[in-house]
Amino acid sequence: MQLQLEFFLLLAAALFCIGIYGLVTSRNVVRVLMSVELLLNAVNLNLMSFSNFLDPEGIKGQVFSIFVITVAAAEAAVGLAIILAIYRNRDTVDMEQFNLLKW
Amino acid sequence: MNLAEDVQLISFGLLGVLMIAAALGVVLLDQIVYSAFLLGGVFLCMSGLYVLLNADFVAAAQILVYVGAVNVLILFAIMLVNKQETFKPVGNRWLRQGATALVCVGLFALLSTMVLATPWVVDTTVVLTSTVVQIGKHFFSDYLLPFELASVLLLMAMVGAIILARRDFIPEKMATDTQDALTLPERPRELTGTVSDR
Amino acid sequence: MDLSNDLAAQLNAGAILPEGLVIVTLMAVLVIDLIVGRKASSWLPYVAIAGLFATVAALVLQWDNPNPLAFFDSFNSDDLSVIFRGIIALSTVITILMSIRYIEQSGTSLAEFMAIMLTATLGAMFLSGANDLVMIFVSLETLSISSYLMTGYTKRDPRSNEAALKYLLIGAASSAIFLYGVSLLYGLSGGETNLAQIAAQLAQGDSDQALGLAIALVFSIAGIAFKISAVPFHQWTPDVYEGSPTPVVAFLSVGSKAAGFALALRMLLTAFESVTVEWHFIFTALAILSMILGNVVALAQTSMKRMLAYSSIAQAGFVMLGMIAGTEAGYASMVFYLLIYLFMNLGAFTCVILFSLRTGTDQISDYAGLYQKDALLTLALSICLLSLGGIPPMAGFFGKIYLFWAGWQAGLYGLVLLGLVTSVISIYYYIRVVKMMVVKEPQEMSDAVQNYPPIRWNLTGMRPLQVGIVFSLITTSLAGILSNPLLTLANNSITQTDLFHVANAAAVETVAQVAEDADPVAQ
Repeated sequence: MQLQLEFFLLLAAALFCIGIYGLVTSRNVVRVLMSVELLLNAVNLNLMSFSNFLDPEGIKGQVFSIFVITVAAAEAAVGLAIILAIYRNRDTVDMEQFNLLKW
Repeated sequence: MNLAEDVQLISFGLLGVLMIAAALGVVLLDQIVYSAFLLGGVFLCMSGLYVLLNADFVAAAQILVYVGAVNVLILFAIMLVNKQETFKPVGNRWLRQGATALVCVGLFALLSTMVLATPWVVDTTVVLTSTVVQIGKHFFSDYLLPFELASVLLLMAMVGAIILARRDFIPEKMATDTQDALTLPERPRELTGTVSDR
Repeated sequence: MDLSNDLAAQLNAGAILPEGLVIVTLMAVLVIDLIVGRKASSWLPYVAIAGLFATVAALVLQWDNPNPLAFFDSFNSDDLSVIFRGIIALSTVITILMSIRYIEQSGTSLAEFMAIMLTATLGAMFLSGANDLVMIFVSLETLSISSYLMTGYTKRDPRSNEAALKYLLIGAASSAIFLYGVSLLYGLSGGETNLAQIAAQLAQGDSDQALGLAIALVFSIAGIAFKISAVPFHQWTPDVYEGSPTPVVAFLSVGSKAAGFALALRMLLTAFESVTVEWHFIFTALAILSMILGNVVALAQTSMKRMLAYSSIAQAGFVMLGMIAGTEAGYASMVFYLLIYLFMNLGAFTCVILFSLRTGTDQISDYAGLYQKDALLTLALSICLLSLGGIPPMAGFFGKIYLFWAGWQAGLYGLVLLGLVTSVISIYYYIRVVKMMVVKEPQEMSDAVQNYPPIRWNLTGMRPLQVGIVFSLITTSLAGILSNPLLTLANNSITQTDLFHVANAAAVETVAQVAEDADPVAQ
């Protein structure tokens, strides 16, 4: 049996769902950020497998995932800077404590 | 039966199982440091999968950027906000987790149905040129504009992250009343007396 | 030299001249701030504004560009993108005018704030013309990441921190979901990233792709709806609006939202053309929910910024009506409404900023009796709010009428009626503020207004604020009566864009096809 496109796509879908679960249920802010990284990795796996199986000549998917990696790094840096700022003011990283803004 | 195919299949299975296990660890473990290291494991497995997908350059970029930069950054952040914090229990948390898990399983079922039902137009051409050459050509032809825009994005993300994370620098004339510096001019709601939940 | 000329011609680099000017301004602001330091902050904003006016001028030159595709089709500088880029650049000009005093008073660095603001503008402008999935993604993230940074800019304020964190987490999640949809689009089209080629590939696809395409559509709409803050993707809006510096809110409510609509138009009309019925259906649901929830919840708000947040959600619902109509008049009414919305909403925010700078509060009840202390502010805020509510002689009325007329023409009777009913509700909460401000009795005056400081326009940064108020006051009151030029502009931007011709031709074809298919049955 050969490696099939579907195997990779199923793996990516599973990783995506795990990421969503972590995003919704985590209470530690840093872990929420990690879940976002999981989501982006799932997307990257999708792009890479499409690129290999459907577009082996153009490999546009590979180029796309390099952009995703770049942006994810920038997003992580900004996210952690915001987390540091909020930690200095509030002295906690618990999502449930961040409730100053609500109606 | 062919040895190369078997090796590919076995390594795919191994990497896939490892990756899912590590990802579950990231979201489920209590200790945030373990999660961070397991996240590094997810990134490594992912780069192994990229090698299976004939993408050597992206696999290397994945290790350099994700493991080398993002994961290290996350570990630094964990150390900087280093406080043993026991979160106060919140009622109905189990219910919420259960509901989310259910939704996620449903989503997975939907996505996998979609993956299996869609007839993907697989292209079986064997290409022998190096991916690095191909990617370089793309960067300087049809993806030139996003490539240049990404440089502005990275510059501004760097500037902005430094602004937000550096220790406060309060200009001299504001030093007398540091209370107000770097805050919104509007009073917080507690002081205006409309809502007081604390 | 020859080579570089050749290269520029080949790339059609002239099409991104406006964006180039924004980048030059951005770099100038950063470098001057580095070299000169804080002394430059008195004149640096005017450098930025001059740069943005140059951008608008360059956009005027781009109008009716015979050869709009640039950079190997990754950027499309057609009239639709030109008008959206114009709206975005103008919104940044007014935002910078209002932020000078605000940032000064909050003690943060103005130059860095403007640099981030200009980056957001750049991202939004590129997004309006992006014609390629990769370009869409990178420009969307440029806009988003700089918005997160601006939201958290007053970093000693816990509310600002919290708003930035919520915005970042929800934004990152929604862009990841958007990306998943986009990656499916890449796969379904067999490895294309250009929107037009994707559309061509998808048109030949068989019916087995329907489920995949539906999931790609829903996931992409989740990302777009987050940007235009349509219900149910709106949860971040009130919190972020309340917690961020007010100039940022003004930019998010106009510039960022306009970019979201431009993205929605371009992506849905090209890549998702084969599922037009489905996306019309989804957007109808979003519009209904946005109009109802935005207007009803706005009634209960006590904070001005939060009320404007819900009002902006509701306004997004009205604008979506033009999109659902799917006719040229519908799209033109969208553009026209966004043009007017630019002035009236930014005018309202300028007034809110001025009031909170003078009194340090943004509670609606604190506005009571303002008329006796500051007539100009009362007049400007009343006009802008009445215009947002759609009271006849103001610009907003004509914008709404055009939207509803286009919707009615397209047969969306239910939606238009709902729009009318919710507009009436919205008038109530806008009028409430106006009534609060003009109460006569001195004893009904709020404490904040009783202690109102003497009006001093000569403080640093107050003049630009005054200019902003007067400018939006005049445009909001005159744009209604003299709306013909704006209307022509909006109509031309639609009729001269190929995008809509293709869409219309396809629609006509489908109708003809359906008629043909139906005929044998009739016989």
